[in-house]
Amino acid sequence: MRALIVDDERLARKELIKLLEEHPSIEVVGEAMNADEAEQMIIELNPDLLFLDIQMPGRTGFQLLESLDSAPLVVFTTAYDEFALKAFEVNALDYLLKPIQPERLSEAVQKINEKERSRGGRPKDKKLGLEDQVFVKDGDRCWFVSLNNIRLFESDGNYIKVYFDNNRPMIHKSLNALDEKLDERAFFRASRKHIINLSWVEGIEPWFNGGLMVKLKGGDKVEVSRRQAAKFKDMMSL
Amino acid sequence: MRLMLNKQKLYWSLQAGGWSLYAIVQIAASVIASDGLGISSQRIVFLAYEAIICFGVSHGYRYYINKWRWLNLGLSRLIPKVIVSVFGLGLLMYFLRIPISMPLGLFSVSVAFDPQNILGLSFYYAIIFFIWSALYFIYNYFERYNKSLKLEAYARAIELSNLKSQLNPHFIFNALNSIRALVDENPAKSKQAINQLSSILRNSLVTEKRELTRFNDELKIVKDYLGLESIRFEERLHTEFIIDPQSKEFLVPPLMIQTLVENGIKHGISRLTEGGLIQIKTSIENDKLNIQIRNSGRYVNGVKRTSGGMGLENTRQRLRLIYGDAATFRILTENDSFVLTEITIPHINSL
Repeated sequence: MRALIVDDERLARKELIKLLEEHPSIEVVGEAMNADEAEQMIIELNPDLLFLDIQMPGRTGFQLLESLDSAPLVVFTTAYDEFALKAFEVNALDYLLKPIQPERLSEAVQKINEKERSRGGRPKDKKLGLEDQVFVKDGDRCWFVSLNNIRLFESDGNYIKVYFDNNRPMIHKSLNALDEKLDERAFFRASRKHIINLSWVEGIEPWFNGGLMVKLKGGDKVEVSRRQAAKFKDMMSL
Repeated sequence: MRLMLNKQKLYWSLQAGGWSLYAIVQIAASVIASDGLGISSQRIVFLAYEAIICFGVSHGYRYYINKWRWLNLGLSRLIPKVIVSVFGLGLLMYFLRIPISMPLGLFSVSVAFDPQNILGLSFYYAIIFFIWSALYFIYNYFERYNKSLKLEAYARAIELSNLKSQLNPHFIFNALNSIRALVDENPAKSKQAINQLSSILRNSLVTEKRELTRFNDELKIVKDYLGLESIRFEERLHTEFIIDPQSKEFLVPPLMIQTLVENGIKHGISRLTEGGLIQIKTSIENDKLNIQIRNSGRYVNGVKRTSGGMGLENTRQRLRLIYGDAATFRILTENDSFVLTEITIPHINSL
């Protein structure tokens, strides 16, 4: 697996690289010393895995993840940060405390390998499919959400409301930009305001003006505009 | 609870002792007044009973004092109440002694109901009870004052220990992490770093218990601290010390300068991709020590980062508790690129 290490301290990066020598399944493909550098390298190198420090000059590790279209697998590294630790524990995110204990690192690597296997490797094209995950943060809470579990994106001003489980956190993106990134076989632009996950569609009813009303599992209802209705019928009949 | 019990015990022993003394003095006075003729046993019994009645009446009086919370009254409201009460009690005493004097054969109607006698003796008892009241209230006021002083000292000690700076765990673990990497890269430097870290830990363990520490000890902690941080930040951190040699005569609150320097790193340098400078400068003016800490960055007033805001507020309160108004503290942005934190503290001689 190809990993990128993001940490502002040279010695901390060096130490982690040294520790990772014991784990041949992880190949360190790059080192970044701040969020901006990391973002650039993620685009260029498309790593499968990030070792990510939270506190860095400029943007924090969380902010970096929020700006990414899709998040690779992430292991957070931090020395001691009460707020971050709380977020990790509440959301069962993977994290390593510095100085990193070799045993803890082995556990984390094992977990990552399992996750990677279950994800079955990422498709090479850049479209976001159901097996991809996004990072969402809402106040103190944060999640890695598999697109599989997201039933609906709803635009709300400059933000998008992301519907999954009982949560509806907001991400700062435009629905048009997101639409371009999403795999059109899995997601459908129902209207100016909505993108739905096709695997969550439960029922379809005719609606006014030749539109459609789509019922999603879980009870949400979304109107498909007349312009999109024909295209939608086409896709669902296939 | 224990205190309450002790107080009760004290009250009863003072009551018993006081009124016994009263009876003895009365009897002795009667003997002396009899001019060597001696006094009747009835007279002695009567005086003993009188003391017992006084004991009972004063206890009832105390019951009302507590019930109506007279201890909470101001003097201007208390004194009239006490005066009226003691005259009431005096009159009550006068009539309570009649049933006792009767069986002892010391009673005569003409004497007992002579208005002059009634007034005179009531007044006498009123004075006795007035003295009792005075002793009772003075004791209670004094005790309450004492207690509030103790409480105040206790609260101050607690507050101060809560405000005391502690080493930031984030810093300690980051330092350990850097040292581990340094072991391979530069063994000599890693040894030095371990020395610095242990010196900081030891110092902070010792000084955490103290209210004040020598300036030079604090300066050493700051230097060790910055030494470790420069391992972490490498070329991103520059430090500068301009120390007035007379500074060593001063005592400072332990870890206070360290905390402010750490603040400067945490909110200043560590957020700047290109890093910056930390400068510590001291000077002495009018027998006061002026400490200036400058760091690259800009001070964002308000509670942008709650932890930072808390740290500064703690420092301010700590200075106030230790020095009152004699110390000053301020933080501001200088030339748009430096944050200046400045404290001025007076000369205190003893540890």
